[in-house]
Amino acid sequence: MKLKDMFKKTSSRSHYISLTAGKPEVPAGLLRKCNKCGAAIIAEDVKNGYYICPKCRGYFRVHAYRRIEMLADEGSFEEWDKEMDFVNPLDFKGYEEKVARLKEHTNLNEAAVTGKVMINGNPAVIGVCDGRFMMASMGHIVGEKITRAVERATAEKLPVIIFTCSGGARMQEGIVSLMQMAKTSAALKRHSEAGQLYISVLTDPTTGGVTASFAMLGDIILAEPKALIGFAGPRVIEQTIGQKLPKGFQRSEFLLEHGFVDRIVEREEMKDVLSQILEIHSGKKTPDTEASSEEKAVERAVSSNLTAWERVQISRKKDRPVGTDYIGKLFTDFMEFHGDRYFKDDHAIAGGIAYFHGMPVTVIAQAKGKTTKENLDRNFSMPSPEGYRKALRLMKQAEKFGRPVICFVDTPGAFCGLEAEERGQGEAIARNLFELSGLKVPVLSVVIGEGGSGGALAIAVADEVWMLENSIYSVLSPEGFASILWKDSKRASEAAEVMKLTAQDLERLGIVEQVISEPAEFTEENLDVVCGDLDARIRAFLETYCAMDTMKLTEKRYERYRRM
Amino acid sequence: MIGKVLIANRGEIAVRIIRACREMGIETVAVYSEADRDALHTQLADEAVCIGPAPSSESYLNMQNIISATLVSGADAIHPGFGFLSENSKFAELCEQCNITFIGPKSQVIQSLGNKSEARNTMINAGVPVIPGSKDPIYDAETGAQAAAEIGYPVIVKAALGGGGKGMRVAETPEEFENSFNTAQKEAQMAFGDNTMYIEHFVQHPRHIEFQILADEHGNVIHLGERDCSIQRNHQKMIEESPSIALTPELREKMGEAAVKAAKAAHYTNAGTIEFLLEKNGNFYFMEMNTRIQVEHPVTEWVTGIDLVKEQIRIADGQSLSYKQEDVHITGHAIECRINAENPAKNFRPSPGTITDMYLPGGKGVRIDSAIYSGYTVPPYYDSMLAKLIVHAKNRSEAIKKMRSALGEVIIEGIDTNVDYQYEILNHPDFISGNIDIEFIENM
Repeated sequence: MKLKDMFKKTSSRSHYISLTAGKPEVPAGLLRKCNKCGAAIIAEDVKNGYYICPKCRGYFRVHAYRRIEMLADEGSFEEWDKEMDFVNPLDFKGYEEKVARLKEHTNLNEAAVTGKVMINGNPAVIGVCDGRFMMASMGHIVGEKITRAVERATAEKLPVIIFTCSGGARMQEGIVSLMQMAKTSAALKRHSEAGQLYISVLTDPTTGGVTASFAMLGDIILAEPKALIGFAGPRVIEQTIGQKLPKGFQRSEFLLEHGFVDRIVEREEMKDVLSQILEIHSGKKTPDTEASSEEKAVERAVSSNLTAWERVQISRKKDRPVGTDYIGKLFTDFMEFHGDRYFKDDHAIAGGIAYFHGMPVTVIAQAKGKTTKENLDRNFSMPSPEGYRKALRLMKQAEKFGRPVICFVDTPGAFCGLEAEERGQGEAIARNLFELSGLKVPVLSVVIGEGGSGGALAIAVADEVWMLENSIYSVLSPEGFASILWKDSKRASEAAEVMKLTAQDLERLGIVEQVISEPAEFTEENLDVVCGDLDARIRAFLETYCAMDTMKLTEKRYERYRRM
Repeated sequence: MIGKVLIANRGEIAVRIIRACREMGIETVAVYSEADRDALHTQLADEAVCIGPAPSSESYLNMQNIISATLVSGADAIHPGFGFLSENSKFAELCEQCNITFIGPKSQVIQSLGNKSEARNTMINAGVPVIPGSKDPIYDAETGAQAAAEIGYPVIVKAALGGGGKGMRVAETPEEFENSFNTAQKEAQMAFGDNTMYIEHFVQHPRHIEFQILADEHGNVIHLGERDCSIQRNHQKMIEESPSIALTPELREKMGEAAVKAAKAAHYTNAGTIEFLLEKNGNFYFMEMNTRIQVEHPVTEWVTGIDLVKEQIRIADGQSLSYKQEDVHITGHAIECRINAENPAKNFRPSPGTITDMYLPGGKGVRIDSAIYSGYTVPPYYDSMLAKLIVHAKNRSEAIKKMRSALGEVIIEGIDTNVDYQYEILNHPDFISGNIDIEFIENM
């Protein structure tokens, strides 16, 4: 029933003229339109809400000084090189006038602002590009300001953070602009050689010469969600190849998936994430707040009675704790970093930085999943070359910053497939053995489940290797062994016995240093018991090995394998 | 002068406001969500504007869209009703910035009264009684006992970060105090990781008594007597009446004065409600001020003969109150029952759906404010209130009889309602004798 047309309405008052002072209207600047979702939003909300659309959570671009305000402890920003003289290396017509207009319009001297800030009490040198100034294209002054800031940071032993945003090279400055890429990169190389930290934060849009120089050179590369990041612009690519580009191409998430970004960080969390990274690299040891857990002696499994094959099966059990469980239990403030910086982020390996009783460490785990879905995502913990390359990248990073490396081994083996071979699975494993043998920081590897052959060894060339009581470590799976030697994979249980793959066997053979007891039914429920024990052992390990000088450390590691 | 009002609400209150406007010759604009295309308010108003999809966050709470609808339709005022944006100071401020008359108090006032501690301080300074409590955080039983003695027993110990009844203990006597304090503090430490405590006077078996006030923009404030809203389930009022049988004329005058004082102290304008807790011994304490028209306003309208919605519009228009305090007389007794689409047998689970058939009572002294009609589909997205049944009679016992009779005539088919449950309350001996407090439903 439509009542609408039946009700009598109020008689029209079209002759009525409002007597109130003014007609209702929206004052200028009160509302604005989101350029992403089109919704009308209250400007004040956007300003107070990190310049994020409250409707679609799209990110608006942020002016350089506002960006600094969002990060810096109040009043801590000290600007460097604020006034720089205009240069026009090509005597480009109209360039000076254009820059003069922009200076007046934006109250900026150029497209980058640099200086020193405190972020939650941690000092850092900061550089921020501002897209309002010729799309933050890099000319001589931008390159010079960034370079000077980096040089001064190196000299003052300060970390550098650069928020990138750029259309690329400054066309009006031609070849001089191109040279800024080399200049900034060279300064960052020296900064890195001096053992100093550089974090780049990619914001929308970061393209061209900036991407191909300082943006991609961070020890740690963060990105804001959905930022456009690329070398060639999407339009140029589309025109060149004559194809439509896929959705999400060249966005932060795409780069994360392809291994070029460590982490995507929401704007609200940026300050805390940056300060956490600065803190862990500051050399300050945070006080150890955790009480050391005195765990009772582990109620041992019916150990000696188990056959090797039974242990193989236990090591593969679905409810056995996985690498990420150990990370959660043994370490605090774990921050995962992604990607190999070449091709992809391999979820079969998880790694990042964390604290172990207040000491910064790098943690790497071969990560089985707990559900089928998770296992598909993590490829059942069978790493691809990019997984090993990510691990190596994080190990080299640990070496640069003097952090011990702790690895958790749990893999059926390196991923066996076409793509893995195409990208050099063998090379990736070999490279890790090669580099790990000489890594200048202590390395500990703990086999927590399956130690599948080369796939395991690639993160287990260590100062010590430990095994959980019911974990295994072998040159090949018992099934594979039986089928190669006896042409019958069904004889796996028999193979397990002769392969000497249990922790006890390997301890006898001198392949591993320590065997850690497990409860009879080992699941996440009683992980505390094992971690209490592991915690004490890792402490002892670090005490011994962190005290060793580098020469002795690497020599000892060399000897460890030389003997075998 | 206000010539066109946009009603930023739905349901029976939107209908109520449209009616008031129509009587005043003011044009009306309804706003509706996609789920409310066929709602009564949408059809009854002179114009209707769709402001978004069904979820209220995208429609009835969507400030920008409502402002846009106001500008597009040429309305010069917004009536926010109750719920939704009615007590949102930011929305009121937006209206002020856009030169739209917000039919309610000023944004600044909404904000200060919405801030519990600020409101409490305003009332203390104005001499309006508040529940006595410790001013500073308390960390040990000894200091706590001193504070409790000053406050007066019984007291309740509360965790500063408390919620959900955790870290809360009542101490009836000084002897019990130490034990109660320590237990509550231990619980607080466990639940919130914080042992900061506060102590308050514990108000035992209180009634919920609220005073309706009207204040114009020229400094005149009057009160329209009280409403007794003690019949509540989970803090949701079910039955309201006016006057309350717990109030003597002297107490009414005292509380009314306090209410006017409170409104003046807050620089309040338009219609508002001061909520008090009333103890058996006649002590009363300010709880909060509601800065809007209330669901239960019809009971006050009936015993005073004052149309509150029309007064709201007049006040917003800058006119002086049409009444002085001495013009306000309470006549007879009014009771309101809220009729909700819910199933009391299934823990009051909401029961949206299509009303296949219905009959609502009428006759002398019976008023129905509703937004339902035969064939109407109650959407699942909003509040489950379907209608308010209000009766008026010479005295309370006659009003109860009239309400029973009227409830007995309410027929709503196709969905579940709480009519039978209300009928039971109306027949409960404690309700009939007026022996009620805010725990009535819990103990029923």
